[in-house]
Amino acid sequence: MADALTLERSASAHTNAKMQVVNLVKRFENAATGQSMEALSDINLTVQKGEFLTIVGPSGCGKTTLLRILAGLIEPTSGQVLLDGVPITGPSPTLGFVFQSDNLMPWRTVWDNVGFGPEMRGERKKDYAPRIEHLLELVGLEGFAKYYPHQLSGGMRQRVNLARALAIEPDVLLMDEPFAALDAQMREIMQDELLRIWKETGNTVIFITHQIDEAIFLADRLLILAARPGRVQELMDIDLPRPRTLEIKRTPHFTEMADHVWHGIERQVRASIRHEQFASGAPKRSGAELAS
Amino acid sequence: MTTQLTFDQAPSAIRNPRPKPPSSFQKMYRHYRSSLIATGSILAGLLLWEFAARLIIRDKLFLVAPSEVIVRSIELLQTGEIQQHTATSAFEFFAGFALSAVVGVFGGLMIGTSKLTRNIATPWISALYSTPTVALSPLLILWFGLGMWSKVIVVFIVSVFPVLVNTQAGIEGADERLVETARAFGAKRSQIFTKVLLPAAVPFIVAGLRLGIGRGLVGVVVAELFGATSGLGYLITVSSQIFDMGALFAAVVILAGAGVISTELVKILERKIAPWRA
Repeated sequence: MADALTLERSASAHTNAKMQVVNLVKRFENAATGQSMEALSDINLTVQKGEFLTIVGPSGCGKTTLLRILAGLIEPTSGQVLLDGVPITGPSPTLGFVFQSDNLMPWRTVWDNVGFGPEMRGERKKDYAPRIEHLLELVGLEGFAKYYPHQLSGGMRQRVNLARALAIEPDVLLMDEPFAALDAQMREIMQDELLRIWKETGNTVIFITHQIDEAIFLADRLLILAARPGRVQELMDIDLPRPRTLEIKRTPHFTEMADHVWHGIERQVRASIRHEQFASGAPKRSGAELAS
Repeated sequence: MTTQLTFDQAPSAIRNPRPKPPSSFQKMYRHYRSSLIATGSILAGLLLWEFAARLIIRDKLFLVAPSEVIVRSIELLQTGEIQQHTATSAFEFFAGFALSAVVGVFGGLMIGTSKLTRNIATPWISALYSTPTVALSPLLILWFGLGMWSKVIVVFIVSVFPVLVNTQAGIEGADERLVETARAFGAKRSQIFTKVLLPAAVPFIVAGLRLGIGRGLVGVVVAELFGATSGLGYLITVSSQIFDMGALFAAVVILAGAGVISTELVKILERKIAPWRA
């Protein structure tokens, strides 16, 4: 274990590793029943500097748990997460988190929401104000600085959410299904915008989604997580040329990859449907049927 | 060309006469319709009351007509009695209410954030919140005298609990996701309190203040009924003893007005400190 860690660390010195996940395990204990559930089982993963990694997997595969551990919001049961070779112990100022629901503070204007991170760090307003102005421009909300979240559309709120994460000038952006609540057209526009912003900032991005085409369209590499317990099923290189336009989604190569990912997940999804039926005790099935 | 145009226009104008633009009177009517109806409803009620008092009951002891209430109010204004009683009650109310706003908000914040404080305070709050503490007025008057301070304390006791309980509910009901968001952005414990929990609780605190106002006004009057030397409740007691129903109603009308005005003031306060709630 210690050897593996030193090995990983020395490896990070000459490769360009930004984040490393080493033998990560997360178990949740149910206090009421005393049972423990393994959410993540022995995850190993290296994310390169400037890389765009997407993670797909069936619901219940521990995607969000993994991301929250990477963000330092919850602790793993065992194993480590290294950021630039240093273990993560809590929320880090170099990690920006984009939440699934936009989680904007309703009492703060767009400007103040975007400036939340710098303000919490105790930066002086006049120092970070130009950065906020620039970010509002970047996400196309320069005219909405004084608006409150309830006055914005879902897409605009999600862009504020993104700008807020960028305002702390993170090296790594952790994104948890940020476009899930948007309609199909808005989602495609936001994917485009995200790639443009990623190119401009040079961030490392770890992006969770349940949309296969979104995962392929954005990614340098795509990680398929298997469920129950969550574990790495496959890591795919997405060798589509950049810059990517929406037309790329209709090329045969893209569809091939999408099929491949879907076949990887399909069995998992079906298993999880069975699991849910089984857990809720709905239709009783024989053991033979379950195994098939 | 021009003749043809006039020729074409004329018949179509006859067939489809445009609706006349609304007159300024109609516009005004539309704009103020609901407040006009409300005013009319009040006036009709007063008329009915006047009618009943003068023609049906015809006994000033049972029902005094609104016109006589107005006359009596003017007399009391001229002697300065009404101003004096209103000032007494207003002081008692504002001092007691200010005290309960401060204690209620700070106490609620402490109970909402610290488990120890919550465990200590909860049994007391549950016991006292639903008790009609106004009933303690005679005892408080015995302790603190017939003057204003016993009433200040009654107002405090009856209006502090809604503020306290609402503030606590606001802190405890703050969105867990916003707390985690703040944590992800590196907020310290104190920052989570000032930047997330406190603003999230503001609407609840305002609702608690509004409830407290209602209870506090009742508290002032009831406490003064039990024993006082001045104040609107005192005016009510004295007037009823000498069958001066005009003065009694004058005091009640002022109390009703005070309730409306205080509630409106809290609404303005809410718009000032919570402008995100459109």
